[in-house]
Amino acid sequence: MRAMDSIFSNYRPVRMILLFNLLAFTLLFLFEERYDQKILLSGLIVMALIYLSFTIIKWRTWGDEYLFLIVSMLASIGIMMIFRLEVQLGIKQIQWFMGGIVLFFISYIVYQKIRFWDRLTIFYLILSLTLFIITLAFGKKISGATNWVNIGGITLQPSEMIKVIFIFFIASFFKNRGSIKIPNLQIKGKKIKIKDTTVMTLIAYTHMGFLVIQREWGGALLFFLVYFTLLYIFESDLRLLLINAGIAIVGGLLGAKYVYHIQVRISTWLDPWRDISGKGYQITQSLFAIGSGGFFGTGIGLGSPQYIPEAQTDFIFSAICEELGIFGGAAVVLLYFILVYRGMKIAMKVDDTFHKAVALGITIMFGFQTFIIIGGVIKLIPLTGITLPFISYGGSSLTTSFVALGILQAISKNNFEEEEGEI
Amino acid sequence: MFELISTILKYIFIVIIYYFIYGIIRLIYLDISTTSYTGKKISGKYPYLKLINQREKLKFKVDESYVLDGDKTIGRTPKNEIFIQDPFLSGEHAGIAIDHGICYIFDMGSKNGTFVNDEKISKKRHELTNGDAIHLGQLNFLYVESME
Repeated sequence: MRAMDSIFSNYRPVRMILLFNLLAFTLLFLFEERYDQKILLSGLIVMALIYLSFTIIKWRTWGDEYLFLIVSMLASIGIMMIFRLEVQLGIKQIQWFMGGIVLFFISYIVYQKIRFWDRLTIFYLILSLTLFIITLAFGKKISGATNWVNIGGITLQPSEMIKVIFIFFIASFFKNRGSIKIPNLQIKGKKIKIKDTTVMTLIAYTHMGFLVIQREWGGALLFFLVYFTLLYIFESDLRLLLINAGIAIVGGLLGAKYVYHIQVRISTWLDPWRDISGKGYQITQSLFAIGSGGFFGTGIGLGSPQYIPEAQTDFIFSAICEELGIFGGAAVVLLYFILVYRGMKIAMKVDDTFHKAVALGITIMFGFQTFIIIGGVIKLIPLTGITLPFISYGGSSLTTSFVALGILQAISKNNFEEEEGEI
Repeated sequence: MFELISTILKYIFIVIIYYFIYGIIRLIYLDISTTSYTGKKISGKYPYLKLINQREKLKFKVDESYVLDGDKTIGRTPKNEIFIQDPFLSGEHAGIAIDHGICYIFDMGSKNGTFVNDEKISKKRHELTNGDAIHLGQLNFLYVESME
């Protein structure tokens, strides 16, 4: 009875992650007879890092215990896949993972310490617009989208950071909406009153406009979905919602009719087989990979995910499906489900509008981002290049996701009222 | 050789991931069952039973505390006011009676017995005082009197 009890103890899930990593890195060590000690060492680092961070969260009772566990499982699956595809990228990804965990704790502490996040509405606006302008001015073009900035040898993707800033902006807007004063316009002597929601709508579409100029369709879609969902939750005016939906539909239809890039995406989505070696190459390779995996997959190292283009970033889900099968892919989707569920639960427990909106925004962002890219690679919706949070290779994506997770973790502690009372 | 290991491991990986998901969902489920009860948890007016066991080690649903705002029976079947699906509890295990502000506990003919401060109690009423340790089935409770 005692032994059975301890199997189900609280630490069990973290042991599962450690076991997973142990087996995965042993397998990678044997793969292609590499026998590289670096691989075993990086495996040990990943395991130690996860166990240590989880112990810190539990010991200091830093809020929700499950968020970090779910995310480390996702990151472990991602690291294993990237290592299998290319060892060099895998080692880099582990460095990003270490940096991500450090940023996770930093953002947790900073978010807890600073109590005036909701008063910086204008600051968020200026920050995100500055970042957009920097991207446009100094941006590099990589695989179709101009969204990379080179700062001192490190290439960054500012749009990843803007996602979090944008959520903060919307949240602080909803918190302070009564107190925001907008000067009346004077045209030909007539005074025209501008509603605060009109201003926010314009700002939100400015963000999306910048992303469209950068040709980052997936990002624009993600911003719209996050913005629209938050509007649906916090705004009672049905007319505004309908107007926004109308703008989105008209914008989408115009894009589909006149913008060449969107036309290509839609036609390859409807029929990728027509131009299998050209425009439909990515999506068909992805479908072949998922199909060849079957229920349990080929096994790590036994499939051929190197034929999938961008297998380590956008198409990593296809690579997972090929080598771990449909069951592996469904497990990844399930993990995201629990993550989103946990996030919603945290948002529901918080009373303050600002924290509620931030928690919801981050959760919705994770959820929609996963939906857009997984839906894209399985040909459920038109494909748009966007990363799979916590799994895809990429420093900007991984670190930003960890920063967002740190903020969610800080909100889950939910001690905002108590400390405010003491001051 | 590598092929064989990898083929075996792919099943193990799937089992590990799903077992992990099961573990997380289970822990989340146990968590929910307490948070939904916090509303009527301890009002300060009535005495209550506080669970001492670590809840995550028990494989059935059990609350962190049970308020004793009237006569109660404890057992495994749903017709009890306090019903806990501990396999070591009897259908109707023990009863709590409140008489003139004094709380009594009595056994209802349980198989494994009811213990107060490690002493087995009979079907006769046994008066409870603040800080008494109550043991039944796999459960350990602490009897806490009201704050007033």
